[in-house]
Amino acid sequence: MKILLVDDEDQFRESVKKQLTVRNYTVSSVSSGEDAIEFIHQNDIDVVILDMRMPGISGAATLKKIKETSPLTEVIMLTGHATVNTAMKTIKMGAFDYIPKPVKLDVLINKMEDAYRKKELEEKRMNHKVK
Amino acid sequence: MNAIKQTNNKGSGKQPEIQLNFDYSDGLAKTKKDFKQLRYRLIAGVVACFIIPHFLLSAYFHFQFTSTLKSTGKYNLEALAKSQKNTIDLFLMERKMNIRNLFYNRMDSLNPSKDKMLYYLQTLKQNSDAFMDVGFLNKEGIQTGYAGSFPELLNKKYKEEEWFRTLINNEKEYIITDIYLGFRNKPHFTIAVKQIIHGKMNIFRATIDPDKFYMFLRSISKGKEVETTLINNKGTYQIVDPDSGNLLGKSSYLPSLNVLSGVKEISGKSGRELTAHAWLQETSWALIINQPLNLVHAQMYKTKNIMMTSFMFIVSLLVLVVLIVIDNLVTRAQVIAENSHQLQGQLIHASKLASVGELATGIAHEINNPLAIITSTTGVVRDLLNPEFNLDPSPENINKELDIVEAAAFRASGITKQLLDFGRKNRPAHTLSNINDLLDKTTQGVKKHQFNVENIELIKNYDPDLPEINVDPDRIGQVFLNLINNAGDAISGDGKITLSTSLKDGFIRIMVMDSGHGMNPDQIKEIFNPFFTTKDPGKGTGLGLSISLSIIDTMNGSLEVQSLPGQGSLFTVSLPVDSSKEKKQEVRG
Repeated sequence: MKILLVDDEDQFRESVKKQLTVRNYTVSSVSSGEDAIEFIHQNDIDVVILDMRMPGISGAATLKKIKETSPLTEVIMLTGHATVNTAMKTIKMGAFDYIPKPVKLDVLINKMEDAYRKKELEEKRMNHKVK
Repeated sequence: MNAIKQTNNKGSGKQPEIQLNFDYSDGLAKTKKDFKQLRYRLIAGVVACFIIPHFLLSAYFHFQFTSTLKSTGKYNLEALAKSQKNTIDLFLMERKMNIRNLFYNRMDSLNPSKDKMLYYLQTLKQNSDAFMDVGFLNKEGIQTGYAGSFPELLNKKYKEEEWFRTLINNEKEYIITDIYLGFRNKPHFTIAVKQIIHGKMNIFRATIDPDKFYMFLRSISKGKEVETTLINNKGTYQIVDPDSGNLLGKSSYLPSLNVLSGVKEISGKSGRELTAHAWLQETSWALIINQPLNLVHAQMYKTKNIMMTSFMFIVSLLVLVVLIVIDNLVTRAQVIAENSHQLQGQLIHASKLASVGELATGIAHEINNPLAIITSTTGVVRDLLNPEFNLDPSPENINKELDIVEAAAFRASGITKQLLDFGRKNRPAHTLSNINDLLDKTTQGVKKHQFNVENIELIKNYDPDLPEINVDPDRIGQVFLNLINNAGDAISGDGKITLSTSLKDGFIRIMVMDSGHGMNPDQIKEIFNPFFTTKDPGKGTGLGLSISLSIIDTMNGSLEVQSLPGQGSLFTVSLPVDSSKEKKQEVRG
């Protein structure tokens, strides 16, 4: 599973990346929405962990762009200010789910795995359709 | 309401404690001082506008009243003298008519017999017991007939007597003499009538007993301690109280012969006296009435005392009522003002906490970010210590991660501290402050980061030479935060907020301009009303601008707004450099 972590907080990004790496996940990280869109455009990413609130393009706008260019890539939103409205809004925009900060690693990994399984199922369904 | 939540959580230890003990002792003390001054001013005003004119008016009426009463006292005494004079005139005229009628109707002989004279005397005494005796005189003045207590007077010759000569020589057919001793050597006076009988002049006379006349005079006297005397035109007492003078003695007072009646103040035996006189018609006597001045004015003094007492009572009562009313009104107004002052303080603080609440959205994110760093870095440390991952758990590696945790913890602490600093209730205190510094303080930290992540460009265009002004930095900071919060909320997506300061005409102008959605004229009319908000439900309390206007107003400043829909809004705060300058308050659309 190839993961892209998008967050403007360098230390958060690095620590999560370290924990996921030792657990045999392939993790890349960028610090802005613009970089994320560019990275996904150039690399095959299974799951994106995307912060909602960032300088430049916001998390919601980045989600929209990712879903436009790479609809099978699943996006898990991270938010420091979680409300039902936020959750509904991001899920309506195509996010797999959202996780409030601070994040428990096992919760994050479970969500990642679920998202990855969903992506695989979607890919299989797509391939089946094509055939 | 955030303010209520904070109150309920106070002391729970779970959330930051925000002090809600409102201390407005400075403001309340000022209010009390103001009302004390107001109370004194009202009392002074009442004294100046009510009591002093009242006293002046009362004094005027008192002097008018006294003057009128004095005049009335004089008039009354003169009227009494005239009245008694008329009575005496009437008495004398009656006696004269008694004699005349008897003489004219009954005299048929030039030598009336003794019995006839006795008959005449009895007839006269039936009319008045003041008659003493009667006499009949021929032209030569010889009293040819007599009846009375002095028989030796029969055949007395009166030709040389003054009254006889006056009667004979005058055209008047009668005479009333002054009091004299005569041949009998006793005080009496005579009423004599002349008539021609059988071609010869004859005179009929009767004498009047002065004691009886005195008794008559006393019977017609009225008034307390009123003394009545009769004097002739030479000032000789004709009738007088034995205690006041001697019959035929000289009076110290002789009224003018040309003044028929009058009244004047004189010095008498018992001090100042009021003396009235009236000249009689029947004889050249004057009736003199004396009354001590204090008795003449006794009624006046009594009335004056009643008036003065009543006046003092009424004025005291009125003053008491007015003072009680003033005291009640001022006390009520003071209570209302103090309550209003406290309520305003509470409202300002509630609004401040609401502003804090509005900040909370951004702050939650700012706090949760370092918390996320702490939790994830903690996980890294656990991984280092987990042999399963075969990492290097050296102290250097672990310390490196712990440094990250510590830094993140302090970062979160800094944010909460900033929140607490703003939410803390400070006593209103004016200090010399630099407006540019206050604006910077408001926009640093959380707001700066918030605008950064929301792609709002914050432009500062300060006048570096602004003078320091005397303001409450806590409250003016709240105004700035309200305006900057509103500016940020008005911007959807990218935008910019421009903060400008300048000095013009003795006022420091602080302008907060945003590139947000702006407002239409109807919204502009409402924005300073409490609880009016253009923000989405839950985002704004609608208190910020009304509270800001109130705060600016207390600083003798003004708050203006200009806005165009779709283009943005400009809020301008004007604060006087000299806070004593006149208030300026204007709202423009």
